[in-house]
Amino acid sequence: MMNRTNQKKRHPIAHVIRKEWLITFRSLNNTLFITLVPVLITLQILLYIFLVLRFAGADLILDSIIGRAIEKWLVQFSVPQGLSALQRLQVFFFSQFPIYQLLIPCMIAMSFASFSIVEEKQTRTLEPLLATPVRTRQLLLGKALSGLIPSIIMSYICTVIFLVGVMVMGSRELLRWVLNPQWWLSLFVLVPLVSFLSFMLGVSGSSRAQDAKSAQNIAVVVILPILAIVALQILGFVVFSPAKLIILSVVLLILNWIMLKAAERLFKRETILIRWK
Amino acid sequence: MSSVIETDKLTKLYGDLLAVKDLSISVESGEILGFLGPNGAGKTTTTRILSGLIAPSSGHAVVSGMKTDRTPELLHEKVGILTETPGFYERMTALENLLYFGGFYEIDQLSQAEKYLNIMGLSDRKQDKVTGFSRGMLQKLALARALIHEPEIVFLDEPTAGLDPEASIEIRNLIRDLKNRGHTVFLTTHNLEEAETLSDRIALIRTRLLVLDTVKNLKNQLFKPQVTVELESVNKTIMNAVKGLKIVKNVQQEKNILHIDIDDPESQSPILVKRIVEAGGDIRTVSEKHHTLEDVYLSLIREEKEKVDESD
Repeated sequence: MMNRTNQKKRHPIAHVIRKEWLITFRSLNNTLFITLVPVLITLQILLYIFLVLRFAGADLILDSIIGRAIEKWLVQFSVPQGLSALQRLQVFFFSQFPIYQLLIPCMIAMSFASFSIVEEKQTRTLEPLLATPVRTRQLLLGKALSGLIPSIIMSYICTVIFLVGVMVMGSRELLRWVLNPQWWLSLFVLVPLVSFLSFMLGVSGSSRAQDAKSAQNIAVVVILPILAIVALQILGFVVFSPAKLIILSVVLLILNWIMLKAAERLFKRETILIRWK
Repeated sequence: MSSVIETDKLTKLYGDLLAVKDLSISVESGEILGFLGPNGAGKTTTTRILSGLIAPSSGHAVVSGMKTDRTPELLHEKVGILTETPGFYERMTALENLLYFGGFYEIDQLSQAEKYLNIMGLSDRKQDKVTGFSRGMLQKLALARALIHEPEIVFLDEPTAGLDPEASIEIRNLIRDLKNRGHTVFLTTHNLEEAETLSDRIALIRTRLLVLDTVKNLKNQLFKPQVTVELESVNKTIMNAVKGLKIVKNVQQEKNILHIDIDDPESQSPILVKRIVEAGGDIRTVSEKHHTLEDVYLSLIREEKEKVDESD
């Protein structure tokens, strides 16, 4: 009766990811949102830097309130005084990109992760799904990674676009100062860690929410602290030196582990099945 | 035959609300058990406990040799569930939906999916997205999903609810086929005719178990076998002749119709007819009164309500 063969079963997490991608990328809206919006954000950042420096004037900015914070940053990162005011500001603004880039996974997480479980409830696929041998951790990780992977890939594609922009607007020489240890740490450690946290928060919010709207509201609330970090860094009020970034990364790593455990605990199968109408 | 489902004083509370109380049942391998009860009686809760989706508050259930709240992931390999309102991923085809759910089991997903799409008569629609499927087609697809891993036990919650008569007949035939192929079926339904024709035994619950037996035994326990004889006219001679028969337990007259209680209508009816004719009776019709599962159900539920009202 049983038709069991040697066909290799895909790992449940990979299986969930594959299905999520199948559904997501069959929608033109979703595909454009994941691919086009991050590129537009990157171009917007480049345009913003260009306009500020072109029309506000480098000297004027360095004389303003944020100018002092920027100077502090430039000293901390040993940007030589010999560079012109414009070049010094270019180094500062260009260097903020990896932090700015945290907005990309946050945005995708808010939109996708927050709907991930609610959508299963709405389409009434959650009960049959929970009746399979899939474990809660596998399901949550699959959901989170299915959004996390494309958002990180898009982050790196946008980085390439941005660096091209840096060379067009500034010069190749500036890359020496822009691509500092803070840049690399942010890009390859902070971005994945913050992305994972955003997605786990989004998925957890989704598993607790009663409907799609409240899921998104929960996601917005939990993602606000991440946006606050981005704002503080961009305005130059908090300088994330490499040492601070390493500490922040360790804290994020611990937070991610706690969040994964919490997400499992928050995902109460019984409550989800009984209360959802 | 061995038991594949055993519950012992299974109880489930949702806060202060008692959903199931002290439920002790046993289901044999290969059996179809009709699980009946009014709305809110605890049927879905019981099904969810038995399929390892939720845990009991007290008592325990052993399904396929496993305690349902210990290792639900292992239990899910052995059971399949058809929920009352099955849902699918609308951007995926019928085949993709089956492959996704089947992908969590150690099976050849593709051949199993193809096999059940074929059994359900959906092979020609396998590449279609499920958005265009009728309710009956979705129900068949949901049944295929519940069976894709060849579970030992299948839980079916209202499998024909909302279906047209033709689709209902097809689903019932598929359920019969499940039994023939050795599956144990736990059938929750409000359709009493369906339960009567499909089930080997019936369990009736209203928070607690009211009865668990075959339909025949339940009828015999609740209703005495009765023969109805319609005559041209009934007189005292005929009445005395009938009452004089040892096999007759009781007679009730309703104009020119006699309702006669006897133990075995099939063998004793000819004796009865002969005596009435000998007494000058002109018989129009003779029929055995048939009680349905609906009569049994309503009688038991009424009895239970009266008990509850009295205790209040």
